[in-house]
Amino acid sequence: MEKMGFGNVTSTSKTMKIIDTEKKISVLIVEDDLLIQKIHKVMMTKFGTEVQLAANGKEAVDLFLSGSSFDLILTDLEMPIMDGIEATKKLRSMGVTSMIVGVTSRNQDSEIQAFMKSGLNACYVKPLNAEKVTAVLNELKNI
Amino acid sequence: MDVGQLQRQFIDYTASLFREEWRGFLDDQFTQLRKLQDENNPDFVFEVVSLFFDDSEKLVNNMAKALEQPTVEFKQVDAHVHQFKGSSSSIGAHRVKNVCVAFRSFCEQQNIDGCKRCLQQLKHEYSLLKSKLETLFRLEQQIMAAGGSIPMVE
Repeated sequence: MEKMGFGNVTSTSKTMKIIDTEKKISVLIVEDDLLIQKIHKVMMTKFGTEVQLAANGKEAVDLFLSGSSFDLILTDLEMPIMDGIEATKKLRSMGVTSMIVGVTSRNQDSEIQAFMKSGLNACYVKPLNAEKVTAVLNELKNI
Repeated sequence: MDVGQLQRQFIDYTASLFREEWRGFLDDQFTQLRKLQDENNPDFVFEVVSLFFDDSEKLVNNMAKALEQPTVEFKQVDAHVHQFKGSSSSIGAHRVKNVCVAFRSFCEQQNIDGCKRCLQQLKHEYSLLKSKLETLFRLEQQIMAAGGSIPMVE
Protein backbone atom coordinates (compact mmCIF):
# COMPACT_ATOMS: atom_id res chain seq x y z
CA MET A 1 0.00 0.00 0.00
CA GLU A 2 1.36 3.43 -0.83
CA LYS A 3 2.43 5.28 2.28
CA MET A 4 1.34 8.89 2.39
CA GLY A 5 3.03 11.35 4.64
CA PHE A 6 0.85 14.39 4.54
CA GLY A 7 2.06 15.59 7.92
CA ASN A 8 2.75 19.21 6.91
CA VAL A 9 -0.42 21.13 7.60
CA THR A 10 -0.83 23.93 5.12
CA SER A 11 -4.07 25.37 6.43
CA THR A 12 -3.56 28.57 8.37
CA SER A 13 -7.08 28.73 9.69
CA LYS A 14 -7.37 27.88 13.34
CA THR A 15 -11.14 27.73 13.43
CA MET A 16 -13.01 24.49 13.86
CA LYS A 17 -14.46 23.28 10.59
CA ILE A 18 -17.20 20.71 10.53
CA ILE A 19 -16.50 18.54 7.52
CA ASP A 20 -19.61 18.16 5.40
CA THR A 21 -19.99 14.45 4.72
CA GLU A 22 -22.99 12.41 3.71
CA LYS A 23 -22.52 9.96 6.55
CA LYS A 24 -20.72 10.31 9.84
CA ILE A 25 -17.08 9.32 9.69
CA SER A 26 -16.32 6.58 12.22
CA VAL A 27 -13.13 7.05 14.21
CA LEU A 28 -11.28 4.69 16.50
CA ILE A 29 -9.00 6.47 18.96
CA VAL A 30 -6.28 4.16 20.23
CA GLU A 31 -4.70 5.81 23.26
CA ASP A 32 -3.83 4.67 26.79
CA ASP A 33 -3.58 8.12 28.42
CA LEU A 34 -7.00 9.08 29.83
CA LEU A 35 -6.35 12.82 29.54
CA ILE A 36 -5.43 12.59 25.88
CA GLN A 37 -8.26 10.12 25.21
CA LYS A 38 -10.70 12.69 26.56
CA ILE A 39 -9.28 15.56 24.53
CA HIS A 40 -9.11 13.62 21.30
CA LYS A 41 -12.59 12.14 21.77
CA VAL A 42 -14.23 15.52 22.34
CA MET A 43 -12.22 17.08 19.52
CA MET A 44 -13.20 14.41 16.98
CA THR A 45 -16.84 14.47 18.13
CA LYS A 46 -16.87 18.25 17.70
CA PHE A 47 -15.82 17.67 14.08
CA GLY A 48 -18.94 15.58 13.58
CA THR A 49 -17.39 12.12 13.70
CA GLU A 50 -18.54 9.06 15.63
CA VAL A 51 -15.88 8.03 18.07
CA GLN A 52 -14.94 4.80 19.80
CA LEU A 53 -12.01 4.35 22.17
CA ALA A 54 -9.42 1.60 22.58
CA ALA A 55 -6.87 1.77 25.39
CA ASN A 56 -4.11 -0.04 23.52
CA GLY A 57 -3.22 -1.70 20.25
CA LYS A 58 -4.57 -5.09 21.24
CA GLU A 59 -8.02 -3.65 21.99
CA ALA A 60 -7.97 -2.01 18.56
CA VAL A 61 -7.03 -5.26 16.81
CA ASP A 62 -9.66 -7.18 18.80
CA LEU A 63 -12.33 -4.71 17.67
CA PHE A 64 -11.51 -5.43 14.03
CA LEU A 65 -11.34 -9.18 14.70
CA SER A 66 -14.84 -8.97 16.18
CA GLY A 67 -16.13 -7.45 12.95
CA SER A 68 -16.02 -3.73 13.72
CA SER A 69 -14.69 -1.35 11.13
CA PHE A 70 -13.78 2.33 11.16
CA ASP A 71 -13.09 4.91 8.49
CA LEU A 72 -10.22 6.38 10.50
CA ILE A 73 -7.92 5.11 13.23
CA LEU A 74 -5.97 7.61 15.31
CA THR A 75 -3.29 5.74 17.17
CA ASP A 76 -0.71 6.60 19.76
CA LEU A 77 2.71 4.97 19.48
CA GLU A 78 3.63 4.02 23.03
CA MET A 79 0.98 1.95 24.75
CA PRO A 80 1.06 -1.04 27.07
CA ILE A 81 0.28 -4.59 25.87
CA MET A 82 0.53 -3.69 22.17
CA ASP A 83 2.06 -0.46 20.87
CA GLY A 84 1.06 1.55 17.81
CA ILE A 85 3.66 0.03 15.50
CA GLU A 86 2.71 -3.55 16.29
CA ALA A 87 -1.01 -2.77 16.11
CA THR A 88 -0.69 -1.01 12.75
CA LYS A 89 1.35 -3.87 11.28
CA LYS A 90 -1.20 -6.37 12.56
CA LEU A 91 -4.16 -4.40 11.20
CA ARG A 92 -2.56 -4.06 7.76
CA SER A 93 -1.69 -7.77 7.70
CA MET A 94 -5.37 -8.46 8.44
CA GLY A 95 -6.27 -6.49 5.31
CA VAL A 96 -7.56 -3.40 7.12
CA THR A 97 -7.62 -0.52 4.63
CA SER A 98 -8.89 2.19 6.99
CA MET A 99 -6.88 5.39 7.13
CA ILE A 100 -4.50 4.99 10.03
CA VAL A 101 -2.93 8.15 11.43
CA GLY A 102 -0.28 8.08 14.12
CA VAL A 103 -0.43 10.72 16.88
CA THR A 104 2.68 10.60 19.03
CA SER A 105 4.72 12.62 21.49
CA ARG A 106 7.88 11.31 19.85
CA ASN A 107 9.34 13.89 17.52
CA GLN A 108 12.64 12.41 16.32
CA ASP A 109 12.62 11.78 12.55
CA SER A 110 13.82 8.21 13.00
CA GLU A 111 10.98 7.44 15.42
CA ILE A 112 8.35 8.97 13.13
CA GLN A 113 9.76 7.10 10.12
CA ALA A 114 9.67 3.80 11.99
CA PHE A 115 6.05 4.46 12.92
CA MET A 116 5.18 5.43 9.33
CA LYS A 117 6.80 2.24 8.00
CA SER A 118 4.40 0.12 10.04
CA GLY A 119 1.61 1.11 7.66
CA LEU A 120 0.41 4.57 8.61
CA ASN A 121 -1.11 7.01 6.15
CA ALA A 122 0.31 9.91 8.14
CA CYS A 123 1.81 10.77 11.47
CA TYR A 124 1.46 13.85 13.62
CA VAL A 125 3.26 14.99 16.71
CA LYS A 126 0.93 15.62 19.65
CA PRO A 127 -1.07 17.59 20.44
CA LEU A 128 -3.86 17.19 17.94
CA ASN A 129 -5.40 20.51 17.09
CA ALA A 130 -8.09 21.84 14.76
CA GLU A 131 -5.68 22.30 11.85
CA LYS A 132 -4.37 18.74 11.99
CA VAL A 133 -7.84 17.24 12.36
CA THR A 134 -9.11 19.29 9.42
CA ALA A 135 -6.19 18.08 7.28
CA VAL A 136 -6.83 14.44 8.20
CA LEU A 137 -10.57 14.58 7.56
CA ASN A 138 -10.11 16.42 4.27
CA GLU A 139 -7.60 13.79 3.20
CA LEU A 140 -10.06 11.07 4.17
CA LYS A 141 -12.75 12.70 2.05
CA ASN A 142 -10.40 12.66 -0.93
CA ILE A 143 -9.63 8.94 -0.71
CA MET B 1 -18.25 43.55 41.30
CA ASP B 2 -20.77 43.37 38.48
CA VAL B 3 -20.77 40.80 35.67
CA GLY B 4 -19.13 43.17 33.19
CA GLN B 5 -16.27 43.92 35.57
CA LEU B 6 -15.80 40.23 36.30
CA GLN B 7 -15.75 39.45 32.59
CA ARG B 8 -13.16 42.16 31.95
CA GLN B 9 -11.06 40.85 34.82
CA PHE B 10 -11.34 37.37 33.31
CA ILE B 11 -10.27 38.58 29.86
CA ASP B 12 -7.29 40.49 31.26
CA TYR B 13 -6.21 37.61 33.46
CA THR B 14 -6.52 35.04 30.67
CA ALA B 15 -4.56 37.28 28.29
CA SER B 16 -1.80 37.63 30.88
CA LEU B 17 -1.31 33.85 30.94
CA PHE B 18 -0.45 33.88 27.24
CA ARG B 19 1.83 36.93 27.20
CA GLU B 20 5.11 36.09 25.53
CA GLU B 21 7.06 38.73 27.43
CA TRP B 22 6.26 36.79 30.58
CA ARG B 23 7.16 33.49 28.86
CA GLY B 24 3.51 32.55 28.57
CA PHE B 25 2.17 29.93 30.92
CA LEU B 26 -0.27 28.82 28.27
CA ASP B 27 -0.17 28.47 24.51
CA ASP B 28 -2.75 28.16 21.74
CA GLN B 29 -3.55 24.56 22.65
CA PHE B 30 -5.39 25.84 25.76
CA THR B 31 -7.48 28.11 23.55
CA GLN B 32 -8.31 25.09 21.38
CA LEU B 33 -9.49 23.21 24.46
CA ARG B 34 -11.72 26.12 25.49
CA LYS B 35 -13.27 26.07 22.01
CA LEU B 36 -14.19 22.42 22.54
CA GLN B 37 -16.30 23.33 25.57
CA ASP B 38 -19.99 23.68 24.77
CA GLU B 39 -23.42 22.72 26.08
CA ASN B 40 -22.62 19.04 25.44
CA ASN B 41 -19.39 19.31 27.44
CA PRO B 42 -19.96 22.31 29.76
CA ASP B 43 -17.14 21.43 32.17
CA PHE B 44 -14.71 20.05 29.62
CA VAL B 45 -11.77 22.35 30.38
CA PHE B 46 -12.15 21.94 34.13
CA GLU B 47 -12.32 18.14 33.77
CA VAL B 48 -9.29 18.01 31.48
CA VAL B 49 -7.25 20.30 33.73
CA SER B 50 -8.28 18.28 36.80
CA LEU B 51 -7.07 15.10 35.08
CA PHE B 52 -3.85 16.93 34.25
CA PHE B 53 -3.38 17.95 37.91
CA ASP B 54 -3.93 14.35 39.11
CA ASP B 55 -1.56 12.89 36.51
CA SER B 56 1.07 15.56 37.13
CA GLU B 57 1.26 14.99 40.84
CA LYS B 58 1.73 11.26 40.35
CA LEU B 59 4.36 11.77 37.66
CA VAL B 60 6.36 14.30 39.69
CA ASN B 61 6.32 11.90 42.67
CA ASN B 62 7.46 9.06 40.41
CA MET B 63 10.29 11.19 39.01
CA ALA B 64 11.40 12.19 42.51
CA LYS B 65 11.42 8.57 43.70
CA ALA B 66 13.31 7.43 40.61
CA LEU B 67 15.95 10.13 41.14
CA GLU B 68 16.40 9.17 44.78
CA GLN B 69 17.39 5.61 43.96
CA PRO B 70 21.01 4.58 44.65
CA THR B 71 21.30 3.66 40.97
CA VAL B 72 19.17 5.99 38.90
CA GLU B 73 17.34 4.36 35.99
CA PHE B 74 17.44 7.30 33.59
CA LYS B 75 15.20 5.52 31.10
CA GLN B 76 12.54 5.24 33.77
CA VAL B 77 12.89 8.92 34.67
CA ASP B 78 12.74 9.79 30.98
CA ALA B 79 9.57 7.76 30.54
CA HIS B 80 7.85 9.79 33.28
CA VAL B 81 9.13 13.08 31.84
CA HIS B 82 8.02 12.04 28.37
CA GLN B 83 4.53 11.35 29.66
CA PHE B 84 4.45 14.68 31.48
CA LYS B 85 5.62 16.45 28.32
CA GLY B 86 2.79 14.81 26.38
CA SER B 87 0.08 15.77 28.83
CA SER B 88 1.39 19.30 29.38
CA SER B 89 1.56 20.00 25.65
CA SER B 90 -1.95 18.56 25.23
CA ILE B 91 -3.42 21.14 27.60
CA GLY B 92 -1.21 23.99 26.40
CA ALA B 93 0.99 24.19 29.49
CA HIS B 94 3.78 25.93 27.61
CA ARG B 95 6.36 26.54 30.34
CA VAL B 96 5.90 23.14 31.94
CA LYS B 97 6.37 21.51 28.55
CA ASN B 98 9.60 23.46 27.95
CA VAL B 99 11.06 22.31 31.26
CA CYS B 100 10.21 18.73 30.26
CA VAL B 101 12.16 19.19 27.01
CA ALA B 102 15.25 20.31 28.94
CA PHE B 103 14.73 17.55 31.50
CA ARG B 104 14.71 14.88 28.76
CA SER B 105 18.08 16.15 27.50
CA PHE B 106 19.59 15.66 30.94
CA CYS B 107 18.09 12.16 31.12
CA GLU B 108 19.70 11.35 27.80
CA GLN B 109 23.05 12.64 29.09
CA GLN B 110 22.48 10.69 32.35
CA ASN B 111 23.26 13.94 34.16
CA ILE B 112 21.88 13.43 37.69
CA ASP B 113 22.48 17.03 38.82
CA GLY B 114 20.81 18.41 35.71
CA CYS B 115 17.87 16.07 36.25
CA LYS B 116 17.47 17.11 39.87
CA ARG B 117 17.59 20.80 38.93
CA CYS B 118 14.96 20.20 36.26
CA LEU B 119 12.76 18.36 38.73
CA GLN B 120 12.85 21.37 41.07
CA GLN B 121 12.09 23.69 38.17
CA LEU B 122 9.27 21.43 37.05
CA LYS B 123 7.74 21.45 40.54
CA HIS B 124 8.00 25.25 40.58
CA GLU B 125 6.45 25.75 37.14
CA TYR B 126 3.71 23.23 37.79
CA SER B 127 2.87 24.89 41.11
CA LEU B 128 2.69 28.32 39.44
CA LEU B 129 0.51 26.98 36.61
CA LYS B 130 -1.81 25.22 39.02
CA SER B 131 -2.26 28.40 41.00
CA LYS B 132 -2.94 30.44 37.84
CA LEU B 133 -5.49 27.94 36.50
CA GLU B 134 -7.25 27.70 39.85
CA THR B 135 -7.58 31.48 39.84
CA LEU B 136 -8.97 31.32 36.32
CA PHE B 137 -11.59 28.74 37.30
CA ARG B 138 -12.55 30.82 40.36
CA LEU B 139 -13.10 33.82 38.10
CA GLU B 140 -15.27 31.66 35.83
CA GLN B 141 -17.34 30.52 38.79
CA GLN B 142 -17.81 34.12 39.94
CA ILE B 143 -19.00 35.13 36.47
CA MET B 144 -21.43 32.20 36.29
CA ALA B 145 -22.72 32.93 39.82
CA ALA B 146 -23.33 36.55 38.78
CA GLY B 147 -25.41 35.29 35.83
CA GLY B 148 -22.86 36.05 33.12
CA SER B 149 -21.25 33.99 30.37
CA ILE B 150 -17.57 33.20 30.04
CA PRO B 151 -15.94 35.35 27.34
CA MET B 152 -13.81 33.58 24.73
CA VAL B 153 -10.31 35.04 24.72
CA GLU B 154 -8.34 34.40 21.49
